[in-house]
Parts: sequence; structure tokens; C-alpha cells
Amino acid sequence: MEMHFDQHISRQFNEDLEGIKTEMLEMGGMVARQVADAVDALSNADSQLAEKVLRIEDEIDRSEMALDEHATLIIAKRQPAASDLRMVMSVTRIARDLERIGDEACKVAKMAIALTDEGTSPRGYTEIRHIANAVRRMLNDALDAYTRFDVASALRTLAEDEQVDMDYRTAVRELVTYMMEDPRSISRVINVLWTLRSLERIGDHAKNICEQVVYLVEGADIRHGHEKNLRKP
Amino acid sequence: MSTMTLDASARTEAAQAELLGVESVAHSAEVRKTVGRPFIEIAKLRMRDVNVCYGEIQAIHSVSLDIGCNEVVAMIGPSGCGKSTFLRCLNRMNDTIEGCRVEGELSLDGEPIYGPKVDVVPLRARVGMVFQKPNPFPKSIYENVAYGPKIHGIASRRAELDEIVENSLHRAGLWNEVKDRLNKPGTGLSGGQQQRLCIARAIAVSPEVILMDEPCSALDPIATARIEELIDELRANYTIAIVTHSMQQAARVSQRTAYFHLGHLVEVNDTETVFTNPEHELTEAYITGRFG
Amino acid sequence: MTDLTQAQVRERIAKRLASRHRKEKLFRGLGIASIAFGVLAVVILFSDIISKGSGAFMQTAIQLQVHYDAQVLGIDTVDDESLAWANFSGVIRQALRERFPSATGRSAKRELYSLVSSGAPFTLRDRLADNPKLLGGSETVWLAADDDVDTFVKSLKGSEAGFRGRTSDQKAGWIEQLLGSGELKKRFNTTFFTNGDSREPEQAGIRAALMGSLFTLLVTLTLSFPIGVAAAIYLEEYAPKNRWTDLIEVNINNLAAVPSIVFGLLGLAIFINFFELPRSAPLVGGLVLTLMTLPTIIISSRAALKAVPPSIREAAMGMGASRMQVVFHHVLPLAMPGMLTGAIIGMAQALGETAPLLMIGMVAFIVDVPGGITDPATVLPVQIFLWADSPERAFVERTSAAIMVLLSVLIVMNTCAVLLRKKLERRW
Repeated sequence: MEMHFDQHISRQFNEDLEGIKTEMLEMGGMVARQVADAVDALSNADSQLAEKVLRIEDEIDRSEMALDEHATLIIAKRQPAASDLRMVMSVTRIARDLERIGDEACKVAKMAIALTDEGTSPRGYTEIRHIANAVRRMLNDALDAYTRFDVASALRTLAEDEQVDMDYRTAVRELVTYMMEDPRSISRVINVLWTLRSLERIGDHAKNICEQVVYLVEGADIRHGHEKNLRKP
Repeated sequence: MSTMTLDASARTEAAQAELLGVESVAHSAEVRKTVGRPFIEIAKLRMRDVNVCYGEIQAIHSVSLDIGCNEVVAMIGPSGCGKSTFLRCLNRMNDTIEGCRVEGELSLDGEPIYGPKVDVVPLRARVGMVFQKPNPFPKSIYENVAYGPKIHGIASRRAELDEIVENSLHRAGLWNEVKDRLNKPGTGLSGGQQQRLCIARAIAVSPEVILMDEPCSALDPIATARIEELIDELRANYTIAIVTHSMQQAARVSQRTAYFHLGHLVEVNDTETVFTNPEHELTEAYITGRFG
Repeated sequence: MTDLTQAQVRERIAKRLASRHRKEKLFRGLGIASIAFGVLAVVILFSDIISKGSGAFMQTAIQLQVHYDAQVLGIDTVDDESLAWANFSGVIRQALRERFPSATGRSAKRELYSLVSSGAPFTLRDRLADNPKLLGGSETVWLAADDDVDTFVKSLKGSEAGFRGRTSDQKAGWIEQLLGSGELKKRFNTTFFTNGDSREPEQAGIRAALMGSLFTLLVTLTLSFPIGVAAAIYLEEYAPKNRWTDLIEVNINNLAAVPSIVFGLLGLAIFINFFELPRSAPLVGGLVLTLMTLPTIIISSRAALKAVPPSIREAAMGMGASRMQVVFHHVLPLAMPGMLTGAIIGMAQALGETAPLLMIGMVAFIVDVPGGITDPATVLPVQIFLWADSPERAFVERTSAAIMVLLSVLIVMNTCAVLLRKKLERRW
């Protein structure tokens, strides 16, 4: 089914729907930037960049609240149905995911500051960089799929989360072994673990966004392993 | 199914050609075939390939639909899409319209609705109707409700008639408001009360099916809410087909929704499906307000 | 298209405003003028008729001391046969001679005798028949004066000389003498309401014409209302819309416009010549007027049926009422006031109709009050026509009086229509 939100009889309705979509994508852009900055701060031990990531958090929270309010207004005034309703619902859900991603990015930034203070150690950083790249790509792809209402791309991105999870488990095992070998490094490795954990969560949230793309376009709720809800063409 | 294209102009053109319906309806097989779930296992009303013509103009094109027991089926669609015409076929109210021809198979509990041997009087006692504008007779409230039982000879004694009147008014949720003024004219009630009086009048002859033709379009939101509540209660005992222009109303009161477009039945589906994820593009366009 | 600023638009509107107001006033003035013209016409008509006709409700009478002398009367007993022969004129002449002994000579006596109406002997006869004991006795009676006397007396105003006409100086003297002594008075004219037509104005009444009109209208109403309503119901509720019903509709509308005299010719040809119904009878008149009023009633009844909101029909039909039940339970009660109005308008038309009745012989000179629909009769408008044609001056006021009676009957009928409609009208 084709998606177009610019053909309502009410021009104002078109603008409202376009408006929340744009707002959400702007917020997505901001969050994606935040994630990238957090990861960079970590790998370059750049605590200034990490501070900047933390500062941006407020702005993201405000965006989420504004988006929620606009969506509520649309529901109250227009009683959207079908794809319009799914659009509004998906935007509010994605906004929450984006806000959580922002939170995770902040955690990564805090770890970057902590790890910078403790002095650098290459142990675990390769894994972080690997997973960070994967989730950043996932997040960008998910937002891209949303922009283009591209279900196929969303489903592809969705599948990548499994790889991220696997990489995460592998990294955790590796780091646990490392801690057993060298108990002195435990506290620092735990910080690395937390970072990995945050990145993995960002991947999960990106996956949620992809699920919302499928919900928006196909009207099928495939969350929590209900892929069979998706009607096969 | 999901054709993702960024070519906005091409997309718009295609959609408009579709939405305008001039070209597409004429030779698009997609429109002619009803999508969704028009048929059910145990049908109260069964319609197959119904065509209705007013003189040379065909108002209904090969509509097939089942309506089950204790089910509310809402019929929606833009003005002039034939939903009212279709509804009026079900108790042959179209008979009175000059030059109206109805073809196809329509049956109520397996008995044909149209046919040389079918008498419309008992049919209309089984299939009651509530109209768009509240139209109580210019008689007393009591007389309004008692009229149907009287002409059909349902009540043999006065006491029996009184009971029918009281029960019907109870079921229409009007008894408490009018019990002290049964002899006052029915036209003196408020719009919403009048419409409930009309519903009481319709159910006084214990019909099996109630047809409602935009029953709330002349009422305020509170009266509308009362009628909708009433429709939900009546569902336990009657089969209800309702034509409405309010999509929210269709969403609230019905179990299945049928979307009519230019005389074609485009889609029939569970109401939840229709309002969250309709199958047909025309349905989607209509319920999201992309054309009227 | 040029874009105008709001100020420009307002300016243009203001420019036109004065002329718009002027036109508005002009139109209102025209409306008031036309209504004033109508009112003036009505006032002139009524004042003319009333001023001319009101005199007819009074009749000059002369008081005489009459002696029922059996010898003069030439009878011994009072019975139908002897009363028919009795010479009441002689009694009256005797009484007049006694009153004015000065009148001698043939011409003076003839003058004297002509003071009293030629119908006076019948008054005496009736009195004697009612009270046979009067034979041989005497009494004082008021006797109707002759129409010349009546006209003369009514034209007397103050000191001015009245309308003399055929009245001689001598006669005028007597009249003034009688007036002076109170033996000549204007009394309420009951004769006008109890008698039929007559050659003598003082004996002429409208009773016969009124009854004739009544019988005619009765026939018309009993025939045209049910037929008209039935036809209207069929055409409006039952008949399919096709070429035939269209044709019928056009024909009914055309019939309403046919000149009424044509209906008279039709009635003459069919009812009198073919069916050989009695001439001059209210029955035939009623039949002819039925033909004439039917289109009016059908058209107005159809309009009344059309005005019944279709929602009521739908409601009844949706309840499973048959077509007849729909019509008789719901449509007809709502349409009745309109139908009745139409019927009464038709009746009023029929009441005022003259031309077709002339053709079927209702113009005859009918003295007797008709007792049924087959008796020869005349009707009010024809009576007016006949009187207007009579040479006697006293008929002028009777013509106007008859018009007043006709108009009051019309007003009564219209009032009935309004009251009936009020009573039957129901809101929906």
C-alpha cells in the first residue's frame, strides 16, 4: 500500500501530519548525532565531546514532550483513522524509543568521561567500536526506512539486531574471561560492559523503530516475535 | 503491495485517477470484487449479486453481503454511493420509488425478499426501519408505539397492547421520560427522544432485523450517544444494519463495516480492521478523509 | 480580475447603497399603494351596496282599521273555499275610504286604493284564516304599502321633497298626513326573507333563491367532494406516473380553465336533453356545478396531499402498513384541512355562478319556495340578475339587499372553512 499524507481534504490536517513526522525525524537526526558523538568521545577519550552529548539530552527530552503534545492534539481534533492513526501512533512510539536511545547515549558519554579519567586501555575497545558502528548504522537505516516508508529496508535492518546481540554476547564472554584472568581490571571492564550494554540497548530501540515502520505501512504489529502478523503479499 | 516510490507527482496522479473513480471504477476489476469478509457462516440476511437501477441509471452494482444474527453491520461511503438504496432493498422500501428495479438474490432466513408471491406487509413487520429524520406520527406517544401492533393485530386485548407499548418504550430507553405523558403528542418530544420513540415504534412489532438509515444525523452528540448505546443494547435481540455518515459512529457501534463506493461494495471487514488497517485503498482514502 | 482593497470594496458598496435604499422604499410604496387600492375598491363596493340595499330590509306599512264585513267579503263562513273567493280588496278599499272620506271621484279613489300593496288582501286572508272569529268584527292591522309609496317615503329626508315618480300631489298629501299621525311607518321587512320572487317589489323575497342555492350547493357538495377527493387520492397515491396520468392531469388543469357557460351547455345537452332530468331543478344545477368545481377540488386536494411530508408515509410504510392504511390513517387526516379549504373555495365559486345555470333554465320566474332538489328553483346570483333587470325602482334596493345576503352567505362559508381548518390542523 502506498503511503501519502498530503492528500487530505483538510490542508491543515496534511500539515499537522507532515509536521509531527518532520519533528520526529529531526529528533531522530539529533539522537543519531548524539550516539555518534558519544561513541567518538569514547574511542577518542574526548571528554569535552562527551560533555556536549550530555548537554544535548535536555533538548531531546523537550522534543519528545512537544511531539507527544502535537500527536495528542491531532488525535483530539482529527480523530485520525487507518494510516493516519498508525502514523500518529508510530510517531509517539518512535519518539519514546528515540528518547531512550538518547538516555543510552548519555550513559555511553558518562562512561567515556569515566574511562578517560581512569586512563586508556585498548582492552574491550575493539568490541565497542564494532558494535557501536553496527547500531549507528542500524539507527540511521531505521530512520531512513521510516522516511521512505520502506518496509523491505526496515525488515533488513531489523534482522541486523540479531547479529548485534550475538556480537554483544561474544564480547561479554570475552570480557568476563579477561576479568577472571586479571581481577585488577574488573572495575574498568565493568564500565566497558555497561557501555556495551547501552549500545546493545540502542540496537534494540532501533529495531523497535523498524517495527514501527512495518506497523505504519502494513498495519501489522510484529513486536515481540509476532512476525507472522505481517501479511505476505 | 507496498510500492515505495519517491516520485511524488506520479504517485499523486495515479492516486487521483483512482480516487476520482471515473476511469478506475469503470474497468478496474479490483473495485468490482469486494475485498475482506462479506460472507459469514450463518447469515440472517443473505444478498447475492444485487443490482438496483433507477430507470437507466444503475445505483448498485452486483453487491453480495451477509448479515448475521445479533450483529451490527455499518454501511459507510460518500454521498450517493448507494448505501441507503441498498439498505432500503432489505425491506423493499424501494418499491415505492418510481422506476426502481431490484435484481439479484435477497433472502431473510432463506426466504426470498423479492418475488411475485412475497407480501411486503409481513416482511416489513419482520424487518423494521428507523429513518434519518425522526418521523413520529402526529399522534400521541402511546398511539405511535401501538400503531404497528394494531395494524398487524398483534395484541388481542387492551392490556396486552399496554404491555407491548411499555416494553417497547423500556427497551428504547424512553419509558422513564414519557411514562407520565403517554397521551401527549409524540411530535412534542425532543429530537433524540423522537428518534428513540421511532425505535420503540419499530421494535413494538418484534422485528428480527432493524434497518437504520442515518439515525443520528439530525441529533446532537448527547442524543447520538444515547442512540448508540441503545443500538449496542438492541444487538442482543436483533440484527441491525445501519447506514451512517459518521465514521466514528460506525467504528463505535458496529461489528463489521461495509464500505460502498459509487454503487460498488468495495470492502467488508471487521470494524477494527477497517478503521486501523483497511485492505482497500478506496476505503483507506475515505476513512482518512482524503476525498468525500 | 483586479484585486480590490477592502477600502475600495466598501466605497463601492456605499456608492450603491443610496440607490438600493431608494429602490427598496419605492417597492414598499408600490406595495402599500396596491393594497390601498384594493381596500378602497372593497370599501366603495360595500358602501355602495350597503347604502343602496339597507333600505330593502325596511318596508313601509300603513295602519288601517279593517272591518271584516261578511257582506263586503261575500262569504258566510270561514273555510278554504270561501276564503279563496272572499273579496278582501273590498274590505281594504272600505277601510281606506273611511280613513280618507275626502277622496271622491274615480281617479281619486284609484289613487287612494293604490296606497296599499296589491298583496295586502292576502295578509288579511291569512289573518282571517288564522282567527275565524274575526269575521264580522274589526281590528287594526299594519298593511304593506305599495312600492311607489315605499320609494317615496324612503326618499323623504327632512324638508326636502322626496322622489315622486308616479305619486300625485294628492297622494303625497295623504302620505304625509298618515306619516304625521303615525299611521304610516317603516317596519322590518320580514317578507323579504319569507317570500319568493314577485312582480311587485314589496312582495318580492329571496327565500326561494336562497333555498334554491342551498339545495344546489348540497347536491354539488355531496357529489364533488367525495369524487374530487377520491380522484385526488388515486392520482396522488396510487396512479403510476406515465403518459396517461400526465394526460389526465393536463386535462384536469384545462377543465379548471374552461368558461363556466360551456358547462351549462354540457348540462343542458346531457342532463336535460339526454337524461331528461327536470328543467330549472337544483339537481341539474348541482350536477352542472359539480362538473365545474371538480377540477378545483381535485387540484387543491392534490396539493394538500403533496404537502403531507413524505416522512410520514415512509414511517407508516416502514411499519408494514398497507397503502390504504397509509392513506387513511396518516395522509388523509393531515391533508383534510387543505382539502376542506379547497372544497369550500369551490363551493363559494359554485354559489356565485350564474352563467351555466342560465343554460339549464334556472333563470325562470319562480314564485314558490322549492321544497326539494327536483322542484323548479332559482339561485341567489340569478335572482340578483333578474331583479337588476326589473324596471321598478324599488327593485334597485332589493338587488343590493340580495347581494348583501349572497355576500354574507359567502362570508359564513369562508368562516366555516377557517374554523374547520383551525380545528383539524395538526402540527407535525
